[in-house]
Amino acid sequence: MALGSLAAAIAVGLAALGAAIGNALIVKSTLEGIARQPELKSTLQTIMFIGVALVEALPIIAVVIAFLVM
Amino acid sequence: MDQYAASMRRYVQYMLYVVALFVLGWGFTPYDSMFLGLILGSAFSFYNLWSMYTKMKQLGQAATGEKKVYSIGTLSRFAVGALAAIIAIRYPETFHLVGVIIGLMLTYIIILIDSLLQIRRL
Repeated sequence: MALGSLAAAIAVGLAALGAAIGNALIVKSTLEGIARQPELKSTLQTIMFIGVALVEALPIIAVVIAFLVM
Repeated sequence: MDQYAASMRRYVQYMLYVVALFVLGWGFTPYDSMFLGLILGSAFSFYNLWSMYTKMKQLGQAATGEKKVYSIGTLSRFAVGALAAIIAIRYPETFHLVGVIIGLMLTYIIILIDSLLQIRRL
């Protein structure tokens, strides 16, 4: 049980780390783009939305797998 | 309607079509627990889609100086995934776990397919 919890915690922690780095890069680039050209806000938001969605898909699977391991 | 709102509207439309198919599957096929799992996962996935849309919108407004924003809500979406997994593990006879996971990923699958179609159309 203790080892299972440890495995789950490591899985969620690493997944969250990856998602945090990925999201941060996407949001940073989008904010720079919007600050430079505010008229492109809508287009950039759509692209950011797609990027964030694809980045977040795997960590959510990792959370579910962590619960299975526990 | 701007491009962002239009694409969100399209995603919601596709989600509703797919959930309608799941409901038909639940009603007319013998795989009850699988389709119930898919419906549960899709419901949580819907919340994730809405949360992502509103947070991205706020972030865009923050970038043009109209509003303040402090997070993009990743943690709450993880919590929703965990909640779906807990429900599926707690009631395995009602909700099939694989169905719940596929349902949770439905938004992301739809966004991926739609963006590929948009790229082809360009």
